[in-house]
Amino acid sequence: MQSRSIYKIPNGKLLKIFLEYNEKTNLIYELKITGDFFAYPEEAIEIIEKELKNALLNKEILIKKIDSIVKKNQIEFIGLNPEGLTQGILMCLK
Amino acid sequence: MKEKWRLLITEKNSAYRNMAMDRAELVSISKGNTPPTVRFFTWKPRAISIGYFQSLEDEVNLDACKNLGVDYVRRITGGGAVFHDKELTYSIVIPESHSQVSKNIMESYGRICGAIIKGLKQLEIDSSYIPINDIIADGKKISGNAQTRKAKTVLQHGTILMDVDVEEMFSLLLVPNEKIRDKMISDVKQRVTSIKHILGKDISFNQIADAMRIGFEEEFNIELNKGILTDEEIELTNKFEKEFFSTKEWNHRR
Repeated sequence: MQSRSIYKIPNGKLLKIFLEYNEKTNLIYELKITGDFFAYPEEAIEIIEKELKNALLNKEILIKKIDSIVKKNQIEFIGLNPEGLTQGILMCLK
Repeated sequence: MKEKWRLLITEKNSAYRNMAMDRAELVSISKGNTPPTVRFFTWKPRAISIGYFQSLEDEVNLDACKNLGVDYVRRITGGGAVFHDKELTYSIVIPESHSQVSKNIMESYGRICGAIIKGLKQLEIDSSYIPINDIIADGKKISGNAQTRKAKTVLQHGTILMDVDVEEMFSLLLVPNEKIRDKMISDVKQRVTSIKHILGKDISFNQIADAMRIGFEEEFNIELNKGILTDEEIELTNKFEKEFFSTKEWNHRR
């Protein structure tokens, strides 16, 4: 199933998510994180997209996973945060 | 004695070349081959630049761009889509280790925007920095800014609006929902201003560049000396223009 969402991060930027997922298992198949936010280093977004492949579409699991990728890769977000990113992804669920 | 930085005034270049120059300066300055650099420039043809993370096809009306002869390019900085028309665009490239630049990204935005604010003051325009990346005058946005850090070097570029045509801008940008296009246009008209709108007259690129030069000199307590791109930077500009910024692979990557 393919889906997309637009989510304005509170006090932040506009996040636009393109998600392809398995409806039966609720696992992420493909994720594209786009928007007018900032992330340092910029390549970090591609790491997050890659590492969230096959992740379960569940709030706690996604926040934990994104938090851990952010820490591991020393990512700094401006206008975006792991909770907002998770919210944007989950808004794609139909 | 004041520290000397380089000032480049490159004026009209294509979107691809402008973005390639910023990146070439970043490489050269990261290697210590050239001093911190401030550049003032414009865009010919007019162009849309989109933030690094934006989806080109989601943000830009590519057919309208083609019809109106407007180029489009993906920046290496985050942030939003910008229609570069009647404006002065600046860029500053400086090593992250420089004492005038904070390690803290938000603080450094404020500091660099401080130079623009001092420049606008020269034109008798009062303005202020509004995080994350805007400068406002008369309660409306007059400048948008975007920063990246690569190879321990800071690149920030931004626009200073000389005049703005919101209708034309929205004919080139896609909106999430066509039904709210008119509402968005009226909202943006209320949120965006320009030097011409505030002063009620046209100010030339050179006048604004002179004002901004003083702004940067005052904010950073430096002297800006007019210079040119080095041979290495010209070579890198040619390379980045050809291999990156003018390619479908780069511009359509998201």
